[in-house]
Amino acid sequence: MNKTITKYGTIALSVLISIGAFLFWYIAYPHAMSYQEQYQLFLWTSDYFVERVSLPGGLADWLGEFIVQFYYVEWLGALLLALLYVALQRLTARLLPPKWWLLSLVPVLMLWWLMGDINVLLSLPVAIVLALALACVMPRRYSWIDAAVLPVAYWLIGPIVWLYIVVRAVQLGWKHLWTAGWMLAAQLMVYAWLLPQWPLQQTMTGLNYYRIPLHYPQWTGYDKDMYELVRMDYLVRHERWDDIVKRAGEYQVNTPFWSNCVNLALSQKRLLADRMFDFYQSGEDALVMPRTRDLTSMLPSAEAFWRLGMVNSAQRYMFDTQESILNARKSGRCTKRIAECMLVNGHYKAAMKQLDLLKKSLYYSSWANDVILSDDWVNAQPEYHRLRQLRYKENFLYSYEEMDKMFGLLFMNNTDNKMALDYFLAQMLLKGNLKGFQQYLGAAQQYGGYRQMPLGYQDVMRCIQMQGNVQGSPFANYAKRMMGGQQQ
Amino acid sequence: MNKIESWLIGAVCWLMASCASTPEQVSKVNQLPDIYPDYIGVTIPADIAPLNFNLADEDIDCMDVVARGSKGGELHTNGDWADFDIADWQALTQQNRGGKITLTVCVEKDGQWTQYNDFDIFVSPDNLDEWGLTYRRIKPGYEVGGDIGIYQRNLSNFDETAILAETVVPGRCFNCHTANCTNPNRITLQMRGEGGGTMIQKEGKQAWVETKTDSTKAAGSYSYWHPQGDYVAMAVNSVHQSFFTGIGQRIEVYHKFSNVEVLDTRTNELILSPLLQTEDLEIFPAFSHDGKWLYYSTSKPCKVPAEYEKVKCSLCRIGFDAEKGQFGLQVDTLLNGPATDKSYVLARPSYDGHWLMYCVSSRGNFPVSQDDADLWLMDMKTGKIRALTEVNSLQCEAYHNWSDNSRWFVFSSKREDGMYTKLYLACIDEQGRVSKPFLLPQRNPRKYYQEQMDAYNVPDFTKTKVEFDAHEAYRQVFDNNREQVKIK
Repeated sequence: MNKTITKYGTIALSVLISIGAFLFWYIAYPHAMSYQEQYQLFLWTSDYFVERVSLPGGLADWLGEFIVQFYYVEWLGALLLALLYVALQRLTARLLPPKWWLLSLVPVLMLWWLMGDINVLLSLPVAIVLALALACVMPRRYSWIDAAVLPVAYWLIGPIVWLYIVVRAVQLGWKHLWTAGWMLAAQLMVYAWLLPQWPLQQTMTGLNYYRIPLHYPQWTGYDKDMYELVRMDYLVRHERWDDIVKRAGEYQVNTPFWSNCVNLALSQKRLLADRMFDFYQSGEDALVMPRTRDLTSMLPSAEAFWRLGMVNSAQRYMFDTQESILNARKSGRCTKRIAECMLVNGHYKAAMKQLDLLKKSLYYSSWANDVILSDDWVNAQPEYHRLRQLRYKENFLYSYEEMDKMFGLLFMNNTDNKMALDYFLAQMLLKGNLKGFQQYLGAAQQYGGYRQMPLGYQDVMRCIQMQGNVQGSPFANYAKRMMGGQQQ
Repeated sequence: MNKIESWLIGAVCWLMASCASTPEQVSKVNQLPDIYPDYIGVTIPADIAPLNFNLADEDIDCMDVVARGSKGGELHTNGDWADFDIADWQALTQQNRGGKITLTVCVEKDGQWTQYNDFDIFVSPDNLDEWGLTYRRIKPGYEVGGDIGIYQRNLSNFDETAILAETVVPGRCFNCHTANCTNPNRITLQMRGEGGGTMIQKEGKQAWVETKTDSTKAAGSYSYWHPQGDYVAMAVNSVHQSFFTGIGQRIEVYHKFSNVEVLDTRTNELILSPLLQTEDLEIFPAFSHDGKWLYYSTSKPCKVPAEYEKVKCSLCRIGFDAEKGQFGLQVDTLLNGPATDKSYVLARPSYDGHWLMYCVSSRGNFPVSQDDADLWLMDMKTGKIRALTEVNSLQCEAYHNWSDNSRWFVFSSKREDGMYTKLYLACIDEQGRVSKPFLLPQRNPRKYYQEQMDAYNVPDFTKTKVEFDAHEAYRQVFDNNREQVKIK
């Protein structure tokens, strides 16, 4: 009877975990998968494999990145994650005494929570699974085999091999703990002789389990605000403008990043002039952020620059974002956009480098293979052709402090650039330049393509005329605040 | 690339099948082969790695190359690209010092063999007499350095090893590694940011010092050793970047202030001169071969970035007495920037005292960001100057340095794609005749350079392999315990 319960209970638990994990990632957290996928570029080349496995933990790293590339297709990514969770549960169940089968759920739950730390790389769960798998297949009689197995296992899966040592010590008795000394010696030898360019700390604790070197996973779980920002970036990446506006109405995170995403979505729906101040505005950085040295903050700004026709700035923000990935991985998303910027600017030889890289990937290769490095081909692509019409015709130095003027010049360059007009007027409002706003409102009327002047702009004008005495309009409220600030 | 990676790549390459057919029914065409890199007519030292090359056309089936020396010897290679055996190549070049090697290239495409006109590679009578090169590899990005590394490359083969990689000091920016007249017994480098400082290594022992004092505005950089090995000249400055909106030059690099000082590495005292601590911007110091002069560039202060086009550097020199550790009392202007509407930067005197090589551009004091930067040469015996048209291109040439025997120089150029700087070597004879430069050889040059996503900068020759303990550098950086230099 107990055997039957154990057998079917374990299977039922596996089924539950697989369904739960699949739904969790596919339905609730596809943006988390997108986030992971965009900070690596898995290449189907032997060089890439060799580069990974030439460091301790390299096989787990390679396998982790191999799986993460499939996050590009959300259901497939969720399925692979579900299988990984089930593997962890089944292996744990196999190592536990049968009557404790229910405890096999514990590592799965722990891992689930740990993966809420967005910088935990999939190489960590992969290494854990491999360590447990090794413990399952190793013969229990001959502990001396571990003398040979441990250094190899360390090289393939990294310091998670200590988990294997612990499991083996439990299986074979504490006399087996001699392997701990041997492992320590092996790691120190690797550090001294084979890893001249890595710190001891990482040699001992893992080179590729965590995205930030010399830092470690936090038990923070799934921080709501942080994942909201990740969701916004995911929606921007997939141009789901309506979803962004809808979501912004339900939950807001008071950061410039959030404002950038929402304003970009509003501009794409041509709602910026009407609804901008219905939502949180972080200040002068609410449309585009200044240069920030991290791997996420500049992404929505880069997307806005791209759509505005500020191609050089889009390329710069994408380039610096990619170089801010502290484990020195490439980003498929960034590399593709950098290549597109180079194509629009006619820098074909430099673009070829990026394209060659993308051609070796799975999900970016079809686009890269379709590209022809010629003006004729670029001009035949509607988006690229449009951007060539929109970009600056004059050459001058970018100035973040004068972003309103940058947008204004961009609009003057091409008065069909309605997004530039919207951003120009919005930036003046954000800066509190109400005089400038008044001055250029005529341009908005003439070139904006509105059936009637947007209500938000009307409210601001009324507010200026009535010296702030307009009730119930978020635009007027903001303008009033800025007027107050100027008087002070 | 570490040893393990090299071995693994070698094994994979060996396993990969390549073509091995021999030329039959060859038809001749009256044209030179279009090869990458362009090694046609270049002059090389006998002690250089094989000049392997690919055919520009990537769709060939096979390539058969015969190399015959004018003084005897013959070499044959057959495969996907011209891949010469290192030992055989060097036996051939040594046998033909002062002569030439004639290469016959046959190519199989679509089952048909074609033979091109022969071309020559000239072997200089002057050896390089250097172990290799050191250089920094950095992404050609904007404000985030990313995965920076200082590397050394054995010039008699293709081995490259890291001297200091980002992995061991994550998140840090380091630069300006400098050896004393190519002798790596004395090297210095600077590290920026948290834990930053100036590293001075003498005979293998690292000393990390803080070179910013109350009397000087910043830490030293752009260093250059005095030939006696006790003093290091440095520029003290604040470097910034601005970004263009046009499709030409991407970045303007400028300095808001800059002065020149000399550090006595025996006492850790700074030697200052009022002539080098002016309101003008003194930058890029370099000692003459005998150590009696210090060359540098200077420009009038401008309101940068707005007045970036007005930055015009003159090339100057000031006397230096190594015995007393004192500067002279007079500055000589060798080339007047404002008067000629040019900018003269990055003076590098040859170690035999015959030549002075420098960059000329239309503006600026950071030539590697200037598209029109070219190399020029001054004969120090006659004062005659000329543009090095033999090595210049339409793109930027900069970061030149001499071999110890002053017969060879290395420089970086963006000629291939306008973005990714690569290293070229050229020779100069007693009369100042300069050969056609050749791209730094690689085992499979097209694959290597197409996949290389780094730009090369600050190259220099090194007499022997650099011995540097990166683990010790990690300890020093994270201990952040710096000796404060004093003013003499």
